[in-house]
Amino acid sequence: MQDTIAANPLREGLSTQPAPEPCALVIFGATGDLTHRKLVPALYNLAHEGQLPQSFAIVGFARRPKTHDQFRAELRDAVAQFSRFQPINPAVWDALAQAIFYHQSEFADPKGFKTLGEFLQKLDAERGTAGGRLFYLAMSPTEFIGIIEQLGASGVARTHGSPPRIIVEKPFGRNLLTAHELNHKLAGVFPDRQVFRIDHYLGKETVQNIVALRFGNEIFEPLWNQKYIDHIQITVAESLGVEDRGSYYDNSGALRDMVQNHLLQLLSLVAMEPPPVLEGEAIHDEKVKVLRAIRPITPDQVQQLTVRGQYAPGSMAGKPVPGYREEKNVAPDSRTETFVVLKLFIDNWRWAGIPFYLRHGKRLPKGVAEIAIQFQAPPAVLFAAESPVPLQPNVLVLRIQPDEGIAIRMNAKVPGNTINLQPVKMDFRYGGSFGARSPEAYERLLHDAILGDSTLFTRHDEVERSWQIIDAIIDGWNASPAPFPYESGTWGPTEADEFIQRDGREWRRP
Amino acid sequence: MPDRAQLETFTAGVETAVDVAQIERQLHELWQLAAESEKDPSQRQITRDCLFSFIVLCETDAGAAHAGEVISSLTSQHPCRAIVLSAGLDSAPSELSASISAHCHLAGTGQKQVCCEQIAIRAAGQSVAHLGSAVLPLLESDLPTIVWWQGNFLERIDLFRRLVAVADRVIYDTSAWTHAPSQLAGLARVITEYPRCSFADLSWTRSGLWRRLAAEFFDEPQCRAELKRIRTVDILHGGGPGAVVRALLYGSWFAAQLHWPVPEAKMRIHLSQRDDPEAASVGILSVTIKTDRATFSIRSDRGENTASATVEMPHACGLPRKRAFWRSDDASLLSQELDHSVRDAVYEKALAMTVALLEEDSH
Repeated sequence: MQDTIAANPLREGLSTQPAPEPCALVIFGATGDLTHRKLVPALYNLAHEGQLPQSFAIVGFARRPKTHDQFRAELRDAVAQFSRFQPINPAVWDALAQAIFYHQSEFADPKGFKTLGEFLQKLDAERGTAGGRLFYLAMSPTEFIGIIEQLGASGVARTHGSPPRIIVEKPFGRNLLTAHELNHKLAGVFPDRQVFRIDHYLGKETVQNIVALRFGNEIFEPLWNQKYIDHIQITVAESLGVEDRGSYYDNSGALRDMVQNHLLQLLSLVAMEPPPVLEGEAIHDEKVKVLRAIRPITPDQVQQLTVRGQYAPGSMAGKPVPGYREEKNVAPDSRTETFVVLKLFIDNWRWAGIPFYLRHGKRLPKGVAEIAIQFQAPPAVLFAAESPVPLQPNVLVLRIQPDEGIAIRMNAKVPGNTINLQPVKMDFRYGGSFGARSPEAYERLLHDAILGDSTLFTRHDEVERSWQIIDAIIDGWNASPAPFPYESGTWGPTEADEFIQRDGREWRRP
Repeated sequence: MPDRAQLETFTAGVETAVDVAQIERQLHELWQLAAESEKDPSQRQITRDCLFSFIVLCETDAGAAHAGEVISSLTSQHPCRAIVLSAGLDSAPSELSASISAHCHLAGTGQKQVCCEQIAIRAAGQSVAHLGSAVLPLLESDLPTIVWWQGNFLERIDLFRRLVAVADRVIYDTSAWTHAPSQLAGLARVITEYPRCSFADLSWTRSGLWRRLAAEFFDEPQCRAELKRIRTVDILHGGGPGAVVRALLYGSWFAAQLHWPVPEAKMRIHLSQRDDPEAASVGILSVTIKTDRATFSIRSDRGENTASATVEMPHACGLPRKRAFWRSDDASLLSQELDHSVRDAVYEKALAMTVALLEEDSH
C-alpha cells in the first residue's frame, strides 16, 4: 500500500489555511511595549482563531530577571487589555500560556544565546517544535546587529528543521549605509526569503485593498495613468506629538520615521504595474521598479521639492500643548522635522509628469491616513456658461485610517430648472459594510511570517532604494535653514500651503 | 411626505404600518428626509447601507420576532435590505399587510449611524399565494438575494420554488426539520434542481469546528498517511434538535472525502447517542478516529465551551489542542454563511453520502 497522500482530503472546502509548520517563536525585547500591546495579543487572537501551528512555543528573550510564570502573568494582563476578543477565553489562554517561556539574558552575551539554543532544543523534544525557528527583533534597533551576529555565531539559527526566519521591526537602518549593513549582516545568517522586514501599514486591510481595488475592478485601471490623473496626494497625519519617544525621534525625524517606510510603501502600491501573479516576489518586483523610477531629489532641489516643519506650542482638542522643543528628551534648539512634504515624480511611461505629493506631520488637527487620486478637470466648455463655479475634478480617496473606506467625488446636477452642477460624494465605509471584524495588522503579519509568506513585508532592495531617496533629501536639508515652525493643531506651516499653491493646486482637508 | 418624528420612529426600529404597494415609496421618502438632515450639523447623521436583499421566511409570529432580533444583530456586519415574510396558514382568512422599520448602528469611529431597512410582510389565507409578487419589486437591483428559510421548505414547495427562482443563496437548518433524516433525499434532489443557487444548511455550519479539528490532525504528512488506515470513526451525539442529522452528515463527510464505498462507510462509521439529561440539548459530543496504530480524539467540554483534540500515536503529530467553540446562535451561524456565496461541493458530497447510507439502511 502506498503510504503517502499528497494533499489532505479533509481540508477541501474549509475556509482556513492548513496549519503552519511547527515552530518556536523567539521574541527579543519580550518585556517591551510592542510585545505587550501588539505581539502577544495578536498571538492570542491567532490562537483563538486556531491559526497557530499545532506544535508551537513562544520564548521571550529579555534582560530583566523573571520566571516563566511571572512572564505569563504579565502577558495575560496585556492580552486581557489589548486583544480584540473580549473577554479573554480562559481555556484558550491556558493552552497558549503552556507554550510561553521566558529566557533571561543580555543581548550581547554569548552564554545567553548558547543556553537559548539548548532551551529551544529541549522544546523541540517536549513540544514538538521540530527545529522550526522564527526570531522577532522587537527591541531597540541599536541591538539588531549584535543579536543577528549572536544568532549566527551561537548556531541558534542553524537547525535541522525548516529554514529559520527572522522578523525585523522598523526602523530598518538610519540611512542607506546602515540599512545595507543590516541587510548584509542578515544575509550572512538568513536567506533573504526568510527575512521579514515589518512595515505594519502593509498589514492594514485598506492597504491590501489598494491592489484589489486597482486590479479587481475594470473601471479604475484604464484611468490610472498620466493621461487622466492630475496628481496624487498621500497624507499620513498624526494628532499626537512625540510623547515618550523624544530621544529616539530627535535623532530620527519625520522623514526617516514615517516617509522612508510607510509613505513610500503606499506610493509604490498605488503606482506599481499589475504583478503577473499575486505572490510576494512578484509584488516586490513591481514595487521596487516604482521606487527605482522615482526621480531623486538632489540636495540643491530640496528647497523647490520639499518643505519641512516643526510643531510649536498650540492647542489640541481645546487644550494647550507644548511645542516640540519643549518635549521631554528633545534638544531645546532641535532642528528635527516633525512635518514633511515632498513632491516626487516617477519617471516611467504611466506616471511621466504627474506629481505625487507626500505629506506627514505630528500634532496635526486629526490622525488620518489617506491616498487621494485627483483626476484632471473635465473640459469646461459645456457647463462654463451655466454653472456659477468651475467644475471640481473627480477625486478617488482611499481612506486607510480611521474609518477605512473608499470615496469618489463627482459632479451632479442640482435639481431645478437651471444647469447647476455640484460635487457629490459616493462613500464606501468598511465599518458600515463589513463591520469591525478585520484582524489587527500585527495579527495578519505574524500569521504570514509563521506561514513564510513575505508578500506584506518589504524586501532588501525596496528598503535600500527608499533610503537612497531619503538620504539625498537629508543631505540637502543639512545645508538648509531650520524647519518652519507651525502651530500645534494646524495643518502644518503656511509654507506647505504656498508650496502646493505654486503648482496651482490645494491640499485636501482630510 | 414623512416628517422628522416619523424618521426618528423608523430609525429607532419601531415598526410603521404601510400599504404593500407603497413600501418602496415610503422608504424612499424617509431616506430623502435623512439625506436632507445631513446638511444640518445639529441633526443626527444617518446613512443607509445595503450589500444584498435578505428574505426571511417565517411560519409563526415567534419566528418573525426571532428574525427581527437576528437581523438586528447581523446588520452591523452584513448590511442588507431585510424582507421578513410571515406566511400563515393557507386556510386562515385572507390577509396581506406590511410594515417598515430600520436597524441602525454607529459605524466605525464616527458618529454617523448606518441603517438597514427591514420590511415585514404578513400573509395569510389565499394571500400566501401572492407573496412572491409582493417580494419581487422589493429586491435590490444588482445585488444578491439571499433567502433564510426558518422552517422546512420541502413542506411549502410552491412558495419555495417562487422564491428560489430569484435567489442566489438559500440558507436553512435541517436541525429544525421534524423528520429530517427521511427528508434528506428530497433535499438533495431539490439542490440538484437549482444549479445556479447555492445552499447552506446551518446544521452543517454547526459542525464546522469539528471538521476543522479533524482535518488538522492530518495536515502533517506523517499523520496524513494514517488516513488510509482508518478502521472506525465513532461519533457520540446528544439528543438535541438535529443532533442525529449533524452526526450523520459529519460521518458521511469522512466517507465522501476519503472516497469510501457505501458498504465500507457503513462498516467504519458508528453513531451512538448519549441519553442522559445533560446531553439532551447538545449535538456532537465526541469523535474518535481509530487506525491500526493511532487514535485521534475530539471531545467537547461544554463547561468551558471548548473542544480538545488529542492524538495517541508513536511519535505523535502535534500536541493536544484546545479550541474555543464558535458561537452557534442563529445570528453567528448566518453571519458565517453570509460570507460565502458559492455552492458548497463538500456539503453536497456529504449529503449525497448520507442519503446513500440511509438508503442502504432501508434495504
